[in-house]
Amino acid sequence: MDAIPASNPGISPPVKLRLANVTKTFDSATQKVAALQAVNLEIREGEYVVLFGPSGCGKSTLLNLIAGFETPSAGDILLEGDPVSGPGNDRLMMFQEHALFPWLNVIENVVYGLKWEPAYRFRFRARRQKALELLKMVHLEEFARSSVHELSGGMKQRVALARALAPDPQVLLIDEPFPALDALVRARLYVELQDILVRTRKTIVSVTHDPREAACLGDRVVVLTGRPGRIKAEVKVQLARPRDINDPQVAEYALRINAHLESAHEEKPGTTA
Amino acid sequence: MKKNPERLHKYYVLGFYLLLLGSWQLLFSLNLLHDYLFPAPFDVAKRLVELGDEGLLWPSIKATLERMVIGFSISAGIGLAIGLLMGMSRIINGCLKSLFLGLQTLPTAAWAPISLLLFGLSDRGIAFVIIMSSVAAISIATADGIQHIPPIYLRAARTLGTPVYAMPSHVILPAALPRIVTGIKLGWTLGWHGAVSAELIKSSVGLGFLLYMGRELNDASQVIAIMVLTILIGLLLDRFCFGLIERRIRIRWGLEPAKR
Repeated sequence: MDAIPASNPGISPPVKLRLANVTKTFDSATQKVAALQAVNLEIREGEYVVLFGPSGCGKSTLLNLIAGFETPSAGDILLEGDPVSGPGNDRLMMFQEHALFPWLNVIENVVYGLKWEPAYRFRFRARRQKALELLKMVHLEEFARSSVHELSGGMKQRVALARALAPDPQVLLIDEPFPALDALVRARLYVELQDILVRTRKTIVSVTHDPREAACLGDRVVVLTGRPGRIKAEVKVQLARPRDINDPQVAEYALRINAHLESAHEEKPGTTA
Repeated sequence: MKKNPERLHKYYVLGFYLLLLGSWQLLFSLNLLHDYLFPAPFDVAKRLVELGDEGLLWPSIKATLERMVIGFSISAGIGLAIGLLMGMSRIINGCLKSLFLGLQTLPTAAWAPISLLLFGLSDRGIAFVIIMSSVAAISIATADGIQHIPPIYLRAARTLGTPVYAMPSHVILPAALPRIVTGIKLGWTLGWHGAVSAELIKSSVGLGFLLYMGRELNDASQVIAIMVLTILIGLLLDRFCFGLIERRIRIRWGLEPAKR
Protein backbone atom coordinates (compact mmCIF):
# COMPACT_ATOMS: atom_id res chain seq x y z
CA MET A 1 0.00 0.00 0.00
CA ASP A 2 2.54 2.62 1.08
CA ALA A 3 4.62 2.35 -2.05
CA ILE A 4 5.67 5.94 -2.57
CA PRO A 5 9.22 6.14 -1.29
CA ALA A 6 9.79 9.76 -2.32
CA SER A 7 7.32 11.29 0.08
CA ASN A 8 8.02 11.28 3.75
CA PRO A 9 4.77 10.81 5.66
CA GLY A 10 6.16 12.72 8.66
CA ILE A 11 6.71 16.05 6.88
CA SER A 12 4.13 17.09 4.31
CA PRO A 13 5.28 19.54 1.63
CA PRO A 14 4.02 23.15 1.70
CA VAL A 15 0.67 24.12 0.24
CA LYS A 16 1.07 25.33 -3.33
CA LEU A 17 -2.47 26.20 -4.26
CA ARG A 18 -5.28 27.03 -1.88
CA LEU A 19 -8.92 27.37 -2.86
CA ALA A 20 -10.98 29.05 -0.14
CA ASN A 21 -14.76 29.11 -0.44
CA VAL A 22 -14.55 29.40 -4.21
CA THR A 23 -18.01 30.05 -5.65
CA LYS A 24 -18.94 30.67 -9.24
CA THR A 25 -22.34 31.65 -10.58
CA PHE A 26 -23.06 32.29 -14.24
CA ASP A 27 -25.72 34.86 -15.05
CA SER A 28 -27.76 33.95 -18.06
CA ALA A 29 -30.61 36.06 -19.41
CA THR A 30 -33.28 34.17 -17.49
CA GLN A 31 -31.58 32.72 -14.44
CA LYS A 32 -28.52 32.42 -12.26
CA VAL A 33 -26.71 29.13 -12.56
CA ALA A 34 -24.56 28.10 -9.63
CA ALA A 35 -21.62 26.24 -11.14
CA LEU A 36 -19.55 25.91 -7.98
CA GLN A 37 -20.49 26.40 -4.36
CA ALA A 38 -17.97 27.03 -1.60
CA VAL A 39 -15.17 24.79 -2.79
CA ASN A 40 -12.29 24.41 -0.35
CA LEU A 41 -9.19 22.61 -1.46
CA GLU A 42 -5.50 22.58 -0.63
CA ILE A 43 -3.02 21.26 -3.10
CA ARG A 44 0.48 20.58 -1.89
CA GLU A 45 3.71 20.97 -3.78
CA GLY A 46 4.48 18.04 -6.04
CA GLU A 47 1.01 16.59 -5.66
CA TYR A 48 -1.11 15.31 -8.54
CA VAL A 49 -4.75 16.09 -7.85
CA VAL A 50 -7.47 14.84 -10.16
CA LEU A 51 -10.84 16.59 -10.21
CA PHE A 52 -13.31 13.84 -11.01
CA GLY A 53 -17.03 14.12 -11.67
CA PRO A 54 -19.81 13.86 -14.22
CA SER A 55 -20.13 16.45 -16.97
CA GLY A 56 -21.69 19.63 -15.67
CA CYS A 57 -20.28 19.24 -12.16
CA GLY A 58 -18.17 22.35 -12.56
CA LYS A 59 -14.78 20.64 -12.65
CA SER A 60 -13.74 22.38 -15.86
CA THR A 61 -14.99 25.69 -14.46
CA LEU A 62 -12.79 25.11 -11.44
CA LEU A 63 -9.79 24.55 -13.71
CA ASN A 64 -10.62 27.71 -15.69
CA LEU A 65 -10.78 29.67 -12.45
CA ILE A 66 -7.36 28.42 -11.37
CA ALA A 67 -5.94 29.19 -14.81
CA GLY A 68 -7.35 32.72 -14.59
CA PHE A 69 -9.60 32.50 -17.64
CA GLU A 70 -12.51 33.24 -15.32
CA THR A 71 -12.82 35.00 -11.98
CA PRO A 72 -14.65 33.52 -8.99
CA SER A 73 -17.92 35.15 -7.91
CA ALA A 74 -16.78 34.74 -4.32
CA GLY A 75 -13.86 33.20 -2.48
CA ASP A 76 -10.12 33.22 -3.08
CA ILE A 77 -7.64 31.28 -5.16
CA LEU A 78 -4.16 31.62 -3.72
CA LEU A 79 -0.95 30.49 -5.37
CA GLU A 80 1.72 30.35 -2.68
CA GLY A 81 -0.40 32.75 -0.65
CA ASP A 82 -0.92 35.32 -3.43
CA PRO A 83 -4.30 35.71 -5.13
CA VAL A 84 -4.22 34.82 -8.81
CA SER A 85 -5.35 37.30 -11.46
CA GLY A 86 -5.70 36.55 -15.14
CA PRO A 87 -4.05 33.78 -17.13
CA GLY A 88 -0.32 33.28 -16.86
CA ASN A 89 2.35 30.66 -17.27
CA ASP A 90 2.74 30.12 -13.53
CA ARG A 91 -0.55 28.19 -13.75
CA LEU A 92 -0.18 26.80 -17.24
CA MET A 93 -3.13 25.03 -18.81
CA MET A 94 -3.01 22.13 -21.26
CA PHE A 95 -6.18 21.79 -23.29
CA GLN A 96 -8.20 18.85 -24.54
CA GLU A 97 -7.08 19.70 -28.05
CA HIS A 98 -3.32 20.01 -28.42
CA ALA A 99 -3.63 23.75 -29.28
CA LEU A 100 -0.19 23.78 -30.92
CA PHE A 101 0.38 26.77 -33.20
CA PRO A 102 0.39 25.60 -36.83
CA TRP A 103 2.45 28.58 -38.00
CA LEU A 104 5.37 27.32 -35.92
CA ASN A 105 7.16 24.02 -36.36
CA VAL A 106 7.57 21.53 -33.51
CA ILE A 107 10.61 23.03 -31.83
CA GLU A 108 9.38 26.60 -32.35
CA ASN A 109 6.21 25.65 -30.51
CA VAL A 110 8.23 24.45 -27.54
CA VAL A 111 10.45 27.55 -27.77
CA TYR A 112 7.28 29.65 -27.65
CA GLY A 113 6.76 28.51 -24.08
CA LEU A 114 10.10 30.10 -23.14
CA LYS A 115 9.71 33.29 -25.14
CA TRP A 116 8.09 35.34 -22.37
CA GLU A 117 10.27 34.06 -19.56
CA PRO A 118 12.49 36.79 -18.12
CA ALA A 119 15.25 34.23 -17.59
CA TYR A 120 15.30 33.53 -21.32
CA ARG A 121 14.97 37.10 -22.60
CA PHE A 122 17.17 37.51 -25.70
CA ARG A 123 18.79 34.15 -25.03
CA PHE A 124 17.79 32.49 -28.29
CA ARG A 125 20.40 29.74 -28.12
CA ALA A 126 19.48 28.80 -24.57
CA ARG A 127 15.80 28.67 -25.54
CA ARG A 128 16.49 26.26 -28.36
CA GLN A 129 18.69 24.10 -26.22
CA LYS A 130 16.09 23.85 -23.48
CA ALA A 131 13.38 23.13 -26.04
CA LEU A 132 15.46 20.33 -27.50
CA GLU A 133 15.93 18.84 -24.03
CA LEU A 134 12.18 18.87 -23.50
CA LEU A 135 11.59 17.26 -26.90
CA LYS A 136 14.06 14.55 -25.93
CA MET A 137 12.09 13.97 -22.76
CA VAL A 138 8.96 13.25 -24.81
CA HIS A 139 11.04 11.26 -27.35
CA LEU A 140 10.39 13.57 -30.27
CA GLU A 141 13.77 15.20 -30.83
CA GLU A 142 13.99 13.86 -34.38
CA PHE A 143 10.74 15.67 -35.22
CA ALA A 144 12.04 19.08 -34.09
CA ARG A 145 11.75 20.58 -37.56
CA SER A 146 8.49 18.91 -38.58
CA SER A 147 5.28 20.84 -39.11
CA VAL A 148 2.50 20.25 -36.62
CA HIS A 149 0.19 18.78 -39.28
CA GLU A 150 2.72 16.05 -40.01
CA LEU A 151 2.46 14.58 -36.49
CA SER A 152 0.03 11.97 -35.21
CA GLY A 153 -2.47 12.82 -32.46
CA GLY A 154 -0.36 11.27 -29.72
CA MET A 155 2.78 13.05 -30.90
CA LYS A 156 0.95 16.37 -30.91
CA GLN A 157 -0.11 15.87 -27.29
CA ARG A 158 3.48 15.06 -26.35
CA VAL A 159 4.70 18.26 -28.01
CA ALA A 160 1.96 20.15 -26.17
CA LEU A 161 3.25 18.63 -22.92
CA ALA A 162 6.81 19.67 -23.74
CA ARG A 163 5.61 23.20 -24.53
CA ALA A 164 3.64 23.35 -21.29
CA LEU A 165 6.63 22.24 -19.23
CA ALA A 166 9.00 24.70 -20.94
CA PRO A 167 8.35 27.75 -18.72
CA ASP A 168 8.54 25.49 -15.66
CA PRO A 169 5.05 26.38 -14.38
CA GLN A 170 4.36 26.26 -10.66
CA VAL A 171 1.16 24.38 -11.33
CA LEU A 172 0.32 22.46 -14.48
CA LEU A 173 -3.40 22.29 -15.26
CA ILE A 174 -4.59 19.56 -17.62
CA ASP A 175 -8.12 19.67 -19.00
CA GLU A 176 -8.81 16.01 -19.77
CA PRO A 177 -5.49 14.53 -20.77
CA PHE A 178 -5.46 12.91 -24.21
CA PRO A 179 -9.21 12.52 -24.85
CA ALA A 180 -9.13 12.15 -28.63
CA LEU A 181 -6.64 9.31 -28.82
CA ASP A 182 -7.06 5.58 -29.17
CA ALA A 183 -6.70 3.35 -26.12
CA LEU A 184 -3.23 2.01 -26.92
CA VAL A 185 -1.69 5.45 -27.45
CA ARG A 186 -3.41 6.71 -24.31
CA ALA A 187 -2.10 3.87 -22.15
CA ARG A 188 1.43 4.67 -23.24
CA LEU A 189 0.97 8.41 -22.72
CA TYR A 190 -0.32 7.84 -19.17
CA VAL A 191 2.91 6.01 -18.35
CA GLU A 192 5.00 8.67 -20.05
CA LEU A 193 3.20 11.47 -18.25
CA GLN A 194 3.75 9.80 -14.87
CA ASP A 195 7.37 9.18 -15.71
CA ILE A 196 7.85 12.86 -16.48
CA LEU A 197 6.02 14.10 -13.43
CA VAL A 198 7.97 11.83 -11.12
CA ARG A 199 11.13 13.26 -12.62
CA THR A 200 10.07 16.91 -12.57
CA ARG A 201 8.02 16.71 -9.33
CA LYS A 202 5.44 19.06 -10.83
CA THR A 203 2.29 20.10 -9.05
CA ILE A 204 -0.53 19.02 -11.35
CA VAL A 205 -4.30 19.45 -11.37
CA SER A 206 -6.20 17.58 -14.04
CA VAL A 207 -9.84 17.05 -14.85
CA THR A 208 -11.54 13.86 -15.99
CA HIS A 209 -14.83 12.00 -16.05
CA ASP A 210 -13.07 8.65 -16.40
CA PRO A 211 -12.60 6.97 -12.97
CA ARG A 212 -9.82 4.75 -14.29
CA GLU A 213 -7.85 7.70 -15.56
CA ALA A 214 -8.36 9.39 -12.19
CA ALA A 215 -7.06 6.35 -10.33
CA CYS A 216 -4.17 5.93 -12.73
CA LEU A 217 -2.91 9.50 -12.56
CA GLY A 218 -3.89 11.03 -9.23
CA ASP A 219 -2.15 11.04 -5.88
CA ARG A 220 -5.48 12.33 -4.68
CA VAL A 221 -8.82 12.21 -6.45
CA VAL A 222 -11.37 14.88 -5.58
CA VAL A 223 -14.91 13.74 -6.38
CA LEU A 224 -17.25 16.56 -7.38
CA THR A 225 -21.03 16.46 -7.72
CA GLY A 226 -23.03 18.76 -9.88
CA ARG A 227 -25.46 21.66 -9.65
CA PRO A 228 -24.05 23.37 -7.81
CA GLY A 229 -20.58 21.84 -7.98
CA ARG A 230 -19.34 20.73 -4.58
CA ILE A 231 -16.64 18.46 -3.26
CA LYS A 232 -18.29 15.19 -2.34
CA ALA A 233 -15.32 13.08 -1.32
CA GLU A 234 -11.60 12.61 -1.59
CA VAL A 235 -9.74 9.41 -2.35
CA LYS A 236 -6.00 8.98 -1.81
CA VAL A 237 -4.54 6.61 -4.36
CA GLN A 238 -1.64 4.82 -2.73
CA LEU A 239 -0.08 2.88 -5.56
CA ALA A 240 3.49 2.98 -6.86
CA ARG A 241 4.20 4.87 -10.07
CA PRO A 242 4.22 4.46 -12.96
CA ARG A 243 0.78 2.88 -12.82
CA ASP A 244 -0.68 1.00 -15.74
CA ILE A 245 -4.21 2.03 -16.64
CA ASN A 246 -5.08 -1.66 -17.09
CA ASP A 247 -3.69 -2.70 -13.72
CA PRO A 248 -6.39 -4.47 -11.58
CA GLN A 249 -5.37 -2.40 -8.54
CA VAL A 250 -6.08 0.76 -10.53
CA ALA A 251 -9.43 -0.73 -11.50
CA GLU A 252 -10.19 -1.38 -7.83
CA TYR A 253 -9.53 2.26 -6.95
CA ALA A 254 -11.62 3.32 -9.93
CA LEU A 255 -14.57 1.40 -8.50
CA ARG A 256 -14.13 3.08 -5.14
CA ILE A 257 -13.95 6.50 -6.75
CA ASN A 258 -17.03 5.83 -8.82
CA ALA A 259 -18.92 4.53 -5.78
CA HIS A 260 -18.72 8.01 -4.23
CA LEU A 261 -20.45 9.40 -7.25
CA GLU A 262 -23.24 6.85 -7.12
CA SER A 263 -23.89 7.40 -3.42
CA ALA A 264 -24.13 11.09 -4.23
CA HIS A 265 -26.95 10.40 -6.61
CA GLU A 266 -28.78 8.24 -4.10
CA GLU A 267 -28.70 11.02 -1.53
CA LYS A 268 -30.43 13.36 -3.91
CA PRO A 269 -33.33 11.42 -5.42
CA GLY A 270 -34.28 14.39 -7.61
CA THR A 271 -31.16 14.18 -9.77
CA THR A 272 -30.75 11.77 -12.61
CA ALA A 273 -27.71 9.64 -13.19
CA MET B 1 -4.52 0.78 -62.65
CA LYS B 2 -7.30 3.08 -61.63
CA LYS B 3 -7.57 6.35 -63.45
CA ASN B 4 -7.03 9.52 -61.53
CA PRO B 5 -10.17 11.63 -62.06
CA GLU B 6 -8.23 14.85 -61.27
CA ARG B 7 -5.81 14.09 -64.11
CA LEU B 8 -8.61 13.36 -66.51
CA HIS B 9 -10.33 16.57 -65.49
CA LYS B 10 -7.24 18.55 -66.52
CA TYR B 11 -7.37 17.07 -70.03
CA TYR B 12 -11.03 18.04 -70.38
CA VAL B 13 -10.17 21.63 -69.46
CA LEU B 14 -7.28 21.68 -71.93
CA GLY B 15 -9.53 20.21 -74.61
CA PHE B 16 -12.14 22.89 -73.95
CA TYR B 17 -9.65 25.69 -74.62
CA LEU B 18 -8.34 24.04 -77.78
CA LEU B 19 -11.92 23.66 -78.97
CA LEU B 20 -12.65 27.30 -78.17
CA LEU B 21 -9.57 28.49 -80.06
CA GLY B 22 -10.22 26.04 -82.91
CA SER B 23 -13.83 27.14 -83.46
CA TRP B 24 -12.80 30.81 -83.33
CA GLN B 25 -10.29 30.18 -86.13
CA LEU B 26 -12.77 27.96 -87.97
CA LEU B 27 -15.31 30.81 -88.18
CA PHE B 28 -12.79 32.75 -90.26
CA SER B 29 -11.56 29.80 -92.30
CA LEU B 30 -15.16 29.09 -93.34
CA ASN B 31 -15.66 32.82 -94.08
CA LEU B 32 -18.54 33.01 -91.61
CA LEU B 33 -16.88 35.95 -89.88
CA HIS B 34 -14.86 38.65 -91.59
CA ASP B 35 -11.64 40.05 -90.26
CA TYR B 36 -12.77 43.66 -90.65
CA LEU B 37 -15.46 42.90 -88.07
CA PHE B 38 -13.42 40.89 -85.57
CA PRO B 39 -9.81 39.68 -85.57
CA ALA B 40 -8.88 36.07 -86.12
CA PRO B 41 -6.76 34.29 -83.49
CA PHE B 42 -3.86 34.15 -85.90
CA ASP B 43 -3.98 37.96 -86.39
CA VAL B 44 -4.10 38.47 -82.63
CA ALA B 45 -1.04 36.29 -82.11
CA LYS B 46 0.76 38.06 -84.97
CA ARG B 47 -0.01 41.50 -83.53
CA LEU B 48 1.27 40.38 -80.12
CA VAL B 49 4.60 39.36 -81.65
CA GLU B 50 4.73 42.65 -83.58
CA LEU B 51 4.13 44.63 -80.43
CA GLY B 52 7.02 42.75 -78.86
CA ASP B 53 9.26 43.54 -81.85
CA GLU B 54 8.28 47.20 -81.77
CA GLY B 55 9.52 47.32 -78.18
CA LEU B 56 6.12 48.27 -76.81
CA LEU B 57 5.21 45.08 -74.98
CA TRP B 58 7.90 44.55 -72.35
CA PRO B 59 8.06 48.16 -71.13
CA SER B 60 4.26 48.11 -70.80
CA ILE B 61 4.15 44.86 -68.83
CA LYS B 62 7.00 46.10 -66.68
CA ALA B 63 5.33 49.48 -66.06
CA THR B 64 2.01 47.92 -65.07
CA LEU B 65 3.65 45.36 -62.80
CA GLU B 66 5.84 48.01 -61.18
CA ARG B 67 2.82 50.16 -60.44
CA MET B 68 1.06 47.11 -59.03
CA VAL B 69 3.97 46.19 -56.76
CA ILE B 70 4.19 49.71 -55.35
CA GLY B 71 0.46 50.39 -55.10
CA PHE B 72 -0.40 46.96 -53.85
CA SER B 73 2.32 46.90 -51.19
CA ILE B 74 0.95 50.13 -49.76
CA SER B 75 -2.58 48.79 -50.01
CA ALA B 76 -1.68 45.53 -48.26
CA GLY B 77 0.05 47.45 -45.46
CA ILE B 78 -2.92 49.76 -44.94
CA GLY B 79 -5.42 46.93 -45.32
CA LEU B 80 -3.66 44.75 -42.74
CA ALA B 81 -3.47 47.60 -40.24
CA ILE B 82 -7.12 48.59 -40.67
CA GLY B 83 -8.20 44.95 -40.69
CA LEU B 84 -6.29 44.31 -37.46
CA LEU B 85 -8.09 47.21 -35.77
CA MET B 86 -11.43 46.03 -37.15
CA GLY B 87 -10.75 42.46 -36.01
CA MET B 88 -9.88 43.52 -32.49
CA SER B 89 -12.54 46.16 -31.90
CA ARG B 90 -16.20 45.48 -32.43
CA ILE B 91 -16.97 49.22 -32.61
CA ILE B 92 -14.38 49.94 -35.31
CA ASN B 93 -15.56 46.87 -37.20
CA GLY B 94 -19.16 48.00 -37.03
CA CYS B 95 -18.31 51.45 -38.37
CA LEU B 96 -15.90 50.48 -41.11
CA LYS B 97 -17.38 47.24 -42.40
CA SER B 98 -20.51 48.85 -43.83
CA LEU B 99 -18.39 51.63 -45.37
CA PHE B 100 -16.02 49.13 -46.98
CA LEU B 101 -18.80 46.90 -48.21
CA GLY B 102 -20.34 49.99 -49.77
CA LEU B 103 -17.07 51.00 -51.39
CA GLN B 104 -16.67 47.50 -52.77
CA THR B 105 -19.82 47.86 -54.83
CA LEU B 106 -18.07 50.66 -56.71
CA PRO B 107 -16.43 49.44 -59.94
CA THR B 108 -12.67 49.88 -59.74
CA ALA B 109 -12.65 52.04 -62.89
CA ALA B 110 -14.86 54.56 -61.09
CA TRP B 111 -11.83 55.62 -59.04
CA ALA B 112 -9.98 56.82 -62.14
CA PRO B 113 -11.76 60.18 -62.66
CA ILE B 114 -11.32 61.32 -59.06
CA SER B 115 -7.68 60.21 -59.15
CA LEU B 116 -7.22 62.30 -62.30
CA LEU B 117 -8.64 65.33 -60.49
CA LEU B 118 -6.56 64.76 -57.36
CA PHE B 119 -3.23 63.68 -58.79
CA GLY B 120 -3.29 64.63 -62.47
CA LEU B 121 -1.46 62.45 -64.94
CA SER B 122 1.01 60.96 -62.48
CA ASP B 123 1.89 57.43 -61.40
CA ARG B 124 0.78 58.41 -57.92
CA GLY B 125 -2.72 58.62 -59.28
CA ILE B 126 -2.53 55.06 -60.59
CA ALA B 127 -1.22 53.88 -57.22
CA PHE B 128 -4.21 55.67 -55.68
CA VAL B 129 -6.63 53.74 -57.90
CA ILE B 130 -4.89 50.44 -57.07
CA ILE B 131 -5.05 51.17 -53.34
CA MET B 132 -8.70 52.24 -53.41
CA SER B 133 -9.62 49.18 -55.49
CA SER B 134 -8.04 46.64 -53.17
CA VAL B 135 -7.77 48.05 -49.66
CA ALA B 136 -11.38 47.35 -48.68
CA ALA B 137 -11.19 43.68 -49.65
CA ILE B 138 -7.94 43.18 -47.74
CA SER B 139 -9.26 44.98 -44.64
CA ILE B 140 -12.48 42.98 -44.58
CA ALA B 141 -10.68 39.66 -45.09
CA THR B 142 -8.18 40.46 -42.34
CA ALA B 143 -10.92 41.44 -39.91
CA ASP B 144 -12.90 38.36 -40.85
CA GLY B 145 -9.84 36.15 -40.39
CA ILE B 146 -9.22 37.56 -36.92
CA GLN B 147 -12.83 37.10 -35.89
CA HIS B 148 -12.68 33.46 -36.97
CA ILE B 149 -9.49 32.53 -35.10
CA PRO B 150 -10.18 29.33 -33.12
CA PRO B 151 -10.43 30.62 -29.50
CA ILE B 152 -8.17 27.80 -28.36
CA TYR B 153 -5.13 29.55 -29.91
CA LEU B 154 -5.85 32.74 -27.99
CA ARG B 155 -6.38 30.83 -24.75
CA ALA B 156 -3.18 28.83 -25.29
CA ALA B 157 -1.23 32.01 -26.00
CA ARG B 158 -2.49 33.66 -22.83
CA THR B 159 -1.79 30.70 -20.57
CA LEU B 160 1.70 30.49 -22.09
CA GLY B 161 2.29 34.00 -20.77
CA THR B 162 2.03 36.05 -23.98
CA PRO B 163 1.87 39.74 -23.02
CA VAL B 164 -1.03 41.72 -24.50
CA TYR B 165 1.22 43.91 -26.68
CA ALA B 166 2.72 40.83 -28.35
CA MET B 167 -0.61 39.19 -29.19
CA PRO B 168 -1.13 40.82 -32.64
CA SER B 169 2.30 40.01 -34.02
CA HIS B 170 2.82 36.61 -32.40
CA VAL B 171 -0.64 35.09 -32.39
CA ILE B 172 -3.48 37.06 -33.95
CA LEU B 173 -2.01 37.78 -37.39
CA PRO B 174 -0.39 34.35 -37.85
CA ALA B 175 -3.54 32.57 -36.70
CA ALA B 176 -5.64 34.59 -39.15
CA LEU B 177 -3.17 34.12 -42.00
CA PRO B 178 -5.18 31.64 -44.13
CA ARG B 179 -8.08 34.10 -44.53
CA ILE B 180 -5.72 37.06 -44.85
CA VAL B 181 -3.94 35.42 -47.77
CA THR B 182 -7.28 34.74 -49.45
CA GLY B 183 -8.10 38.43 -49.00
CA ILE B 184 -4.73 39.49 -50.39
CA LYS B 185 -5.28 37.27 -53.41
CA LEU B 186 -8.67 38.87 -54.02
CA GLY B 187 -7.16 42.31 -53.38
CA TRP B 188 -4.47 41.67 -55.99
CA THR B 189 -7.09 40.79 -58.60
CA LEU B 190 -9.10 43.94 -57.80
CA GLY B 191 -5.94 46.04 -57.81
CA TRP B 192 -5.03 44.57 -61.20
CA HIS B 193 -8.45 45.66 -62.50
CA GLY B 194 -7.87 49.11 -61.06
CA ALA B 195 -4.37 49.43 -62.51
CA VAL B 196 -5.43 48.59 -66.06
CA SER B 197 -8.54 50.80 -65.81
CA ALA B 198 -6.48 53.74 -64.61
CA GLU B 199 -3.88 53.26 -67.33
CA LEU B 200 -6.67 53.29 -69.86
CA ILE B 201 -7.48 56.85 -68.89
CA LYS B 202 -4.24 58.43 -67.80
CA SER B 203 -0.90 56.98 -68.84
CA SER B 204 1.67 56.87 -71.60
CA VAL B 205 2.94 53.36 -70.92
CA GLY B 206 1.35 50.17 -69.56
CA LEU B 207 -1.07 47.46 -70.58
CA GLY B 208 -4.04 49.79 -70.20
CA PHE B 209 -2.32 52.34 -72.41
CA LEU B 210 -1.78 49.71 -75.14
CA LEU B 211 -5.50 48.93 -74.96
CA TYR B 212 -6.31 52.62 -75.34
CA MET B 213 -3.84 52.95 -78.21
CA GLY B 214 -5.38 49.95 -79.97
CA ARG B 215 -8.80 51.56 -79.79
CA GLU B 216 -7.46 54.92 -81.05
CA LEU B 217 -5.82 53.17 -84.01
CA ASN B 218 -8.93 51.08 -84.64
CA ASP B 219 -6.71 48.02 -84.25
CA ALA B 220 -8.99 45.26 -82.91
CA SER B 221 -6.17 42.70 -83.07
CA GLN B 222 -4.11 44.76 -80.66
CA VAL B 223 -7.04 45.28 -78.30
CA ILE B 224 -7.82 41.56 -78.17
CA ALA B 225 -4.11 40.70 -77.88
CA ILE B 226 -3.64 42.96 -74.88
CA MET B 227 -6.86 41.71 -73.30
CA VAL B 228 -5.70 38.12 -73.60
CA LEU B 229 -2.28 39.06 -72.27
CA THR B 230 -3.82 40.88 -69.29
CA ILE B 231 -5.91 37.82 -68.51
CA LEU B 232 -2.90 35.51 -68.80
CA ILE B 233 -0.66 37.57 -66.54
CA GLY B 234 -3.43 37.99 -63.98
CA LEU B 235 -4.21 34.28 -64.07
CA LEU B 236 -0.57 33.27 -63.82
CA LEU B 237 0.03 35.42 -60.76
CA ASP B 238 -3.24 34.35 -59.19
CA ARG B 239 -2.70 30.65 -59.73
CA PHE B 240 1.01 30.21 -59.36
CA CYS B 241 2.04 32.98 -57.03
CA PHE B 242 -0.83 33.59 -54.61
CA GLY B 243 -2.58 30.28 -55.24
CA LEU B 244 0.44 28.21 -54.26
CA ILE B 245 1.15 30.31 -51.17
CA GLU B 246 -2.48 30.05 -50.14
CA ARG B 247 -2.51 26.27 -50.55
CA ARG B 248 0.72 25.78 -48.64
CA ILE B 249 -0.63 27.81 -45.75
CA ARG B 250 -3.95 25.97 -45.74
CA ILE B 251 -2.15 22.62 -45.63
CA ARG B 252 0.18 23.75 -42.87
CA TRP B 253 -2.71 25.14 -40.79
CA GLY B 254 -4.42 21.78 -41.18
CA LEU B 255 -7.35 23.26 -43.13
CA GLU B 256 -6.69 21.16 -46.23
CA PRO B 257 -5.20 17.68 -46.47
CA ALA B 258 -1.83 17.41 -48.17
CA LYS B 259 -2.04 15.44 -51.40
CA ARG B 260 0.29 12.55 -52.19
